[in-house]
Amino acid sequence: MKKQNNVENGINDWNSIVNLIKNVIKTQTFLLLTALLILFLVFSIFEESFFTRRSITSMLFQLPEFGILSLAMMIPMMIGGDDLSIVSTANLSAILSGFFSVKVLPNILPEEYSIIYIGSIFLLSMIVGCITGLFNGILVGYIGANSILVTLSTLTFFTGISIGLTKGSVLIGLPESIGLIGSESILGIPISFLIFVVVSMVVFIILNHTPLGFKIRMMGTNQSASKFSGINNKKIIIKIFIISGILSSISGILIMSRTLSASYQYGASTYILLTILIGVLAGVVSGKGSVLNVFVSVLILQVISTGFHMMLVGIRGSSFFKDFIWGILLIVIFIINHYREKMKKLS
Amino acid sequence: MFRKIYSANEFVTFIIILLISIFIGLINPAFFSIASIFDVLRSSIVYIILALGLLPVMIVGGIDISFVAIGALSAYSTHMLLINNGYEGGVFLYYIIACSIGIIASFLNSILTTKFNLNIFNVSLALYIMWFGFVRFFVGSKRSATFPEGASNFYSKFLLTVKDPFVGNSNLHISILFVVIIGLVLMLILRYTTFGRGIYAIGGDRDVALRTGFKVNRILTGSFIIMGGLAAFAGITHSFLIRLFDPTMFLGDELDVIAAVVLGGASINGGRGSVIGTFMGVIVIQLIHRSIILIGIPVTWQDFIVGFILIIFISIPYLKTIIKEKLVDKKVAHEETK
Repeated sequence: MKKQNNVENGINDWNSIVNLIKNVIKTQTFLLLTALLILFLVFSIFEESFFTRRSITSMLFQLPEFGILSLAMMIPMMIGGDDLSIVSTANLSAILSGFFSVKVLPNILPEEYSIIYIGSIFLLSMIVGCITGLFNGILVGYIGANSILVTLSTLTFFTGISIGLTKGSVLIGLPESIGLIGSESILGIPISFLIFVVVSMVVFIILNHTPLGFKIRMMGTNQSASKFSGINNKKIIIKIFIISGILSSISGILIMSRTLSASYQYGASTYILLTILIGVLAGVVSGKGSVLNVFVSVLILQVISTGFHMMLVGIRGSSFFKDFIWGILLIVIFIINHYREKMKKLS
Repeated sequence: MFRKIYSANEFVTFIIILLISIFIGLINPAFFSIASIFDVLRSSIVYIILALGLLPVMIVGGIDISFVAIGALSAYSTHMLLINNGYEGGVFLYYIIACSIGIIASFLNSILTTKFNLNIFNVSLALYIMWFGFVRFFVGSKRSATFPEGASNFYSKFLLTVKDPFVGNSNLHISILFVVIIGLVLMLILRYTTFGRGIYAIGGDRDVALRTGFKVNRILTGSFIIMGGLAAFAGITHSFLIRLFDPTMFLGDELDVIAAVVLGGASINGGRGSVIGTFMGVIVIQLIHRSIILIGIPVTWQDFIVGFILIIFISIPYLKTIIKEKLVDKKVAHEETK
């Protein structure tokens, strides 16, 4: 009797493990990780210089910028909106804090103060991001205008401020200590990548373990239901755009520290598309969104981008070809997502 | 009757046109002349065609930005095709080929949005980048200013010429006729055909339109065809007017056109919008660009001003509804206290 029980328990355990594996395979995260692995293998086979220490480090240096921007795009996407002004916010905050560091802060500092120095620049740019986010949030939340329209016009507005301040040129002559974030690494891992990991964790905690995250999900699923259950939708929208603005400004600092300059046009043409692409790839829809998926999708996009770059090197106008491929890729992912949704509904 | 006119969004737009005109006129009295009217009209021609193409899609309830890329794609590839084959004829063939390319390209928008049920804006963003990349990589990235013989003097075909004491002769280009014809046809389509009423119905409520028996997918495809065709038409007209075929024409102009359509009373939630309103919306945007130059604001601050004004204009319709709701609330409260 006892023996039989044990056997049954064993079978149950076995079944539950199988079920668990089945469920894991079905998740988007698993699919994304598989895609990442396959892409990595394919590029490593076809490009000799792909799987080297140098190219991997350079990838880790490049991806935090648009990784954080994708997080900034993801949160508005979770309530069915779009924030197209993220790149212009990033550039504006980089330019403003760049001006601050050139004009206000002393130019030569002892090295032990560089942390305070970088901290103050971060703080300033995050304040800028907060203000721009508040601006977007009021227009979308309280006035009720469409988020695409609002952020398209604030995109022009913020870029306009940047152009006006820099007179259309690139802001250079920034102090060396800003470049520390974009060029140094700790234990072989770039600092900017570490910042990206930390920021992702913070966003994960906000979305999954705070009342705000719960409300965002609820509002994304059904706006009127959340309104009638006592959630102030307008306040949530404002908070969402403020978070989005702050995240973009962090990304602005990363861009500034990597290039040691600030300009209104960095990433202006492709980063918006890339961030939406990442959001769609990660399966972010109204009411749903996982930071882990976004993180893996960012890695995938960086692998594709670097791989293509290596393959296309030396071909004239290859950046135009890349644009073309990004567009097609986005459409293909849309279609795949559509069919997956259909399959889910059928089963 | 007056109340109806007053409450229409077009009325607000008209008032804005008047205010800006008076403002510019105060700074520069030379503005009140036929010459400057011609000038504003000339610079608006292309944008009116683009905006009219976008109008049906906006009424349906979508925001599309790919139309500028479709315009550039069809105009530039038509030009390259004809020039490389030694074409020496007139503009007629240009328009025919370009519009066909535009319509074919717009099928991609409609297939993706109807068959796969995708968001119109997301699709258009992908196509925007894709087409601009395509035309610059596969067709060519160089500007071209060589024109076939038969079409080379199209830019100087004028409908009217007026002598002006300030600026000498000022002319109204013949393509203003195209604008009038396109506007009239679109107005008739929107008002008096089942297709046109269907566009408004889908914009109002898609499910209701579906249940009423409108063929939603066909109507969506139709609006995209209008968009693609007119974008190509605008692309050719633009290139002939400035005597330059540029693969990046209209790049970055999408916001101006969208803002013009919104300003003309089209609701982004769909179901509203008119040809006359769109026409006035484009004029307003052109007047703003003009007044910025006249006031003497430095070029580097122009985007800032334009962006700021766009934000205000986009909020106006929403502010109006908010105020209206507040007034209704007050009325209700007032009657209750009685």
